[in-house]
Amino acid sequence: MAGTTVPIALRREQTDWLGSAAYFLRRNPRMVIGGLIVLAWLVAAAFAPWVAPYDPIKVNVIDSLQPPNPQHWLGTDDLGRDVLSRVIWGSRVSLRVGLISVSIGLFVGTSLGLAAGYLGGKFDLIIMRGIDALLAFPALILAIGITSALGPRIENAMIAIGIVAIPAYARLTRGQVLAVRAREYIVAARTIGAPPLRIVLRHIFPNIMNALIVQATLSTAFAILAEAALSFLGLGAQPPEPSWGQDINYSQRYLANLKWWMSVGPGVAIFTAVFAFNFLGDALRDALDPRLRRSG
Amino acid sequence: MIRYILRRLVLMIPVALLVTVGVFALARLSPVDPVLVFAGEERDPAMLDAIRHQLGLDQPLPVQYVAWLSHAVQGDLGRSFQNKQRVSEAIIERLPATFELGLAALLISITFALVIGIVSAVKRNSVVDLLSTSITLMGVSFPSFFLGVVLILLFAYVIPGRIFPPGGYTPLIQDPGANLRYLVLPAATLATASLALNLRQVRSSLLEVFGYDYMRTARAKGLREGAVIVRHALKNALIPVVTLVGIQVGAIIEGAVITETIFSWPGVGRLVVQAIPSHDYPVVQGVVLVSALSFMFSTLLVDVLYAWLDPRISYESAAA
Repeated sequence: MAGTTVPIALRREQTDWLGSAAYFLRRNPRMVIGGLIVLAWLVAAAFAPWVAPYDPIKVNVIDSLQPPNPQHWLGTDDLGRDVLSRVIWGSRVSLRVGLISVSIGLFVGTSLGLAAGYLGGKFDLIIMRGIDALLAFPALILAIGITSALGPRIENAMIAIGIVAIPAYARLTRGQVLAVRAREYIVAARTIGAPPLRIVLRHIFPNIMNALIVQATLSTAFAILAEAALSFLGLGAQPPEPSWGQDINYSQRYLANLKWWMSVGPGVAIFTAVFAFNFLGDALRDALDPRLRRSG
Repeated sequence: MIRYILRRLVLMIPVALLVTVGVFALARLSPVDPVLVFAGEERDPAMLDAIRHQLGLDQPLPVQYVAWLSHAVQGDLGRSFQNKQRVSEAIIERLPATFELGLAALLISITFALVIGIVSAVKRNSVVDLLSTSITLMGVSFPSFFLGVVLILLFAYVIPGRIFPPGGYTPLIQDPGANLRYLVLPAATLATASLALNLRQVRSSLLEVFGYDYMRTARAKGLREGAVIVRHALKNALIPVVTLVGIQVGAIIEGAVITETIFSWPGVGRLVVQAIPSHDYPVVQGVVLVSALSFMFSTLLVDVLYAWLDPRISYESAAA
């Protein structure tokens, strides 16, 4: 016994950050890739004044229509504005629209869904018929209709996209509320005299949080795409404010002259942002809500 | 079956009414006075009042709504503020172009979805399967207007010979060859987004069907693999695909808005986009209403078709 060696540590200490990161990446590649791209865009949007090399709206005719070069990585447009700087500043518009319109959809949709599911009866019937009517409109057509009625401004685009997002949250929330309403702990809370608002907020809401987080991530992807589409049609951000969709529309007039770089920058930006939120949303769905997991 | 359809139609009425209220409200939300838009250069107060009266805009809102609805039910969606053309006429004139584009796109999308989807499900983890998952991933996130721009750049300008024109339209009856040349790029653009969805559905429902016992039975009784896939797997796997495609048919106008704008395709989508800057509300209202109603009806048709294709679905329980 005296000569035997006893291992000092059976497990290696968790200081190997690189190893842990590699393990997490292997287990959740979509979450890591999607999350990192989303984070990169959030940083670009938050620190745009410091990250962007030039003023995005300053006209500089001498430098107009330059192809990508060491001074202007993504080239310049016909007014000599740096495309990379416009793409970076454009992320502010896209992410702001994404955040605000998803918040509108989330808040209104979840409230309606909670009310319809918990109160039931006539209230449920009226709310859900309204939601059905909203769902009867193709999403983009409804957004175009609302924005054209309210006037072509970025704030109105946010409202329009927010309204379009309401039905998904309302249906999701109502379904979940109906599923948990009859559970014992809800009945118990009601029996001890908890007021309805408390039951909804403290006992029902936490149960649907995961599904809502997944839905919010996926609908941010839709919101960014919809904002770009509205801006492309001239219904979102107005010139000279940098906006991805609007810049692609603007670049169309130089396609015949082969000034491809004017559209590639904003196009790739939209794609990466939408892709990242979709990727992250799918990964979160698998991680947080196994019941919603899709096949294939 | 007929009872089920009738019941669904009756249930649709309140929703359709709410839709019309929404469409009517759209034009009234606007901060711009429609009378000023209609009057053009005219600013004489007496004339403006006369126009207001003529358009019925001096009536209370509920009266205006009922008048608008009763006209709309008879197919009268008002007249365009811009060129005074009947809105219903303007829409009907442009529908063939939109349908041509939409159907061509669906045809491309379904063909590619079936071919790639079947190969990728049969040969899982092969190169085709990898291609299929990549298309699915990219297609959902790739903005159609950017794809349109890239296609124009490549096929109309960069590749020598200028294979396809960057935009425009020739009616099919006038010159089928020219019509086809104008059609290819917009149809390919429009097809990409739905291709991603259809491909995912074909692949995943085939994979699901492959796991069923009757597939093993079909193989065990000595059927050739081709017959097993076509007669047993595809027949069952395609039911959800039919649903998805049906919904896409109903959403043709929506899909066409962006594509028609990029390629100057004279369809309903472009009509609404051109009406917006000039505040031509009757046109915007008309297109929104027509696309919402066609979307609703196609959803109903899909439900009926679904119940017909899949005998396990009981009409009574589905209606409840």
